[in-house]
Amino acid sequence: MNREEILARYDRGTHRLGRLVSLITLVMLVGAPFLIGSVLGAMPDLGAAAHGFLAVGLVWTVSSVVEFLVYTPMLGSGGSYLAFITGNLINMKIPCAINARDLAGVKAGTRENEIVSTLSIAVSSLTTILVLALGVLLLQPLQPLLQSPELRPAFDQVVPALFGALAYKYYRKNLRLALWPLLLMSAVFILLPSLQSQTSILIIPAGGLAILLAWLAYRKGKKA
Amino acid sequence: MSSVIQQLSSPVMYLICGVIVAFVAVVCVVFAVRAWRAGKAIGMDLAVLRRVVTASASFSVLPAVGILLGVVALSGALGIPWPWLRLSVIGALHYETQVAEGAAEQVGIDLSASQMTVSAFTTIALLMSVCIMWGMVLNLFLNRKYTARLARPDAAGGASFGDQAMTAMFIGLVSVYIGSYLGQWISGGGRFTFSGSALPLLTALCAAAVMALLTLIAEKLRWKWLEDFSLALSMLAGMACAAVLNQIL
Repeated sequence: MNREEILARYDRGTHRLGRLVSLITLVMLVGAPFLIGSVLGAMPDLGAAAHGFLAVGLVWTVSSVVEFLVYTPMLGSGGSYLAFITGNLINMKIPCAINARDLAGVKAGTRENEIVSTLSIAVSSLTTILVLALGVLLLQPLQPLLQSPELRPAFDQVVPALFGALAYKYYRKNLRLALWPLLLMSAVFILLPSLQSQTSILIIPAGGLAILLAWLAYRKGKKA
Repeated sequence: MSSVIQQLSSPVMYLICGVIVAFVAVVCVVFAVRAWRAGKAIGMDLAVLRRVVTASASFSVLPAVGILLGVVALSGALGIPWPWLRLSVIGALHYETQVAEGAAEQVGIDLSASQMTVSAFTTIALLMSVCIMWGMVLNLFLNRKYTARLARPDAAGGASFGDQAMTAMFIGLVSVYIGSYLGQWISGGGRFTFSGSALPLLTALCAAAVMALLTLIAEKLRWKWLEDFSLALSMLAGMACAAVLNQIL
């Protein structure tokens, strides 16, 4: 069998396997809350989940489309199937695949890159699974401490801690872009305090405004 | 420990989540073996493939420990097994917390152990799964066509605005939450009374300050490895700050 035949066969197998395991993983992930609900005696509230999806999920749907369009060319088909199943793309899989590509001296878009990135993402995912499994084994005895009254306020503030750190990360290089969405949202929450329990519905207008401003800057940059 | 959190960390939860994690681990092994064999069959240098394996494994250890800290952060409200599953498979540190918070809001609670119920948990878990599944759905239906199109010689070099749009969307997202913390402090106890809780805003400021410090250290000393920990460490610093400030305020 020559090189092209081997690669064509590899490609066909990758797509067949990739689609099959994506489908099985999807069924397991969406089915798990129902299985847990049946075991623990409380099924998910589908009405609240539908509301939640409209409020929070649409943003992540757009994000998923963009991630798919941007990252698939970098990773190739096998790497892409695997990366979207195993997650942690931006903070781990993409840099890991790029690192492996540089190390192997292959170029994006080549068949060798497809093989290297698939191998890299598979190994990276296995390492993560192993580290997390070991970590979780060690975490179990610490659970009473983590639930103690002294530490509870810390865990209750996990979201502000996340967004504070992310604010620095995203704002520092995009201060002009961040200014208007931040001012607008601050004004909304100061003037309409009742919206403070409904932050998620404001994500779409704030994201839309930021994308519009980014688009205008992008067009201006292209014309200049 | 609350009884709900005990239920969420029960052996049956470990079993359900463990089966899914194990399945994905097997998928990774299969993909790795196929890629290795294809590389060998087309004559790639095996020493290079071996370096890819060792470099990818060593590269991933530090970020994986950072992700483990994310499991710690979420375990307070969701128990250990579910955050373990989500951050081992499909999830991402920044995504999970935000969607869990948004989902908790929809079921009328704060994301905390004191308010968690089993029904709220299963709804939150469902929403966390549904919101992030679109990458896999797109792969399921479009990967073959998209990669085939990219392989054509006339294919364009990629969506140049895509990256910027994604950054802009996250800026919008972050702005909503930071704006809400400001609003909570200034108008939370009545419009412009400055009598609402300042704890979320101070926690965010503390986390941002630590993130700035870690970024500065990583850049000045060229400690690339520190970047892998900076988000998780900043979050933990913010949370520690919240625990201390809660005693003072």
